[in-house]
Amino acid sequence: MDHNKIQELISKYNEGVAEPSDVLQLEKLIADGVVELTQLHELAALDGGIDRVVSPTPSQETDRAFYKMLKARKKNRLKAIRFGGVADSLFSRWIAVSFLLVIGFMVGQVFQKQTEKSEVKVLADEVTSLKEMMMISLLENESATDRLKAVSLSEEIKGPSQKVTEALFKTLNEDPSVNVRLAALEALRGYSKSPAVREGLVKSIARQQSPLVQVALAELMAALQEKSSVKELKKVLEQKQTPKEVKQRIKESINVLI
Amino acid sequence: MEALSDNALMAKVRDGDPEKLGLLYERYKRSLLGFFIGLIREREVAEDLVQNTFMRILKYKHLFRADGDFRTWLFHIARNVKNDHYRKNKIIHENVEKWEEQIKDKTDSLASWQSEEEHRMLALALDKLPEEKREIILLSKYQEKKYKEIGEILGCSEGTVKVKVFRALQELKEVYRLVEKNM
Repeated sequence: MDHNKIQELISKYNEGVAEPSDVLQLEKLIADGVVELTQLHELAALDGGIDRVVSPTPSQETDRAFYKMLKARKKNRLKAIRFGGVADSLFSRWIAVSFLLVIGFMVGQVFQKQTEKSEVKVLADEVTSLKEMMMISLLENESATDRLKAVSLSEEIKGPSQKVTEALFKTLNEDPSVNVRLAALEALRGYSKSPAVREGLVKSIARQQSPLVQVALAELMAALQEKSSVKELKKVLEQKQTPKEVKQRIKESINVLI
Repeated sequence: MEALSDNALMAKVRDGDPEKLGLLYERYKRSLLGFFIGLIREREVAEDLVQNTFMRILKYKHLFRADGDFRTWLFHIARNVKNDHYRKNKIIHENVEKWEEQIKDKTDSLASWQSEEEHRMLALALDKLPEEKREIILLSKYQEKKYKEIGEILGCSEGTVKVKVFRALQELKEVYRLVEKNM
């Protein structure tokens, strides 16, 4: 269709005298990009009017809900982050934690002066959360030294979360290194006031193959006066593969408990 | 200081800085609310859907491609959120013949927010359009006439979008005249 005919069609439409067949033709020209909607004056004015229709503002409640959700996500993300065992990322994590600790300390100082204790608490929570994250990621490293570091890091965490104790139990029950297991046991000893931790320790007895860990657990049970462990300890005694010396030490622990 | 582009902000959200979503929320909360109210006509539900849209953005942030257009992605998600809301609440697409009855029942329409008479009439006319047409007009408004991007949201070509907008505006014109006559 030539230019003049197109203009004629547009004029007819704008004057409100277009036939249905004209409209169909116009649709095709619009689809092909030959005619723009802005050329159809009445529709363009209507469209412009729609653009000026005011959009409502969300209520403060919606704003609050959004920012609450964002804050919760941020917290979860920090907890959920898992790192690989790459040395440089490990280094950068140490840097990040140290940096945060320094910042935390500095901010803490300022805030203390301003007696805004709640803000400090939030920061302290974040630092704790970072420490937990560090610890859990270090526990996943191949190097036993790193895993030992992780266990010792857990001792710096006051009032550890369930995640930390779970990670320590996983280490105690599954870590290939006896030294790491023993360190995990030592760390868990610090949390033995918790009934869940004591229960986990009792359950762990049956999962240990290493004589050193078995003895350490038996002695810990005796120290904690955890009588519910006797049954599990007796099972170890009944195992043929349990070394004689170990049996002797376990018997001593059982005697203390009974 | 120059403000970061939507894409740059969303890329930061994707790469582990969720707080940047707050800036995007501030930029788009009104458009999204207008879009949802225009479609659903219930403010409370529309506000929930705004929240759900941003939650979904966080959930699927890894799917954001910085070479695309954030606004297009946002409205694509918003549309899915709206469709899911319909599915969940077993809302079927409106029967065109019943739109007048539906309008009477729901007073939370976009029109109720307009102070100027002309805008109010226009919003009222928009409310009376069938949903498909209302949606294309709202997308055209909030996507700033970027028909190619609207095509990406709706899964059709730019030309098809233009024709849909044309038809919707034509119907709006008719409805507007009726509204004007009855005012």
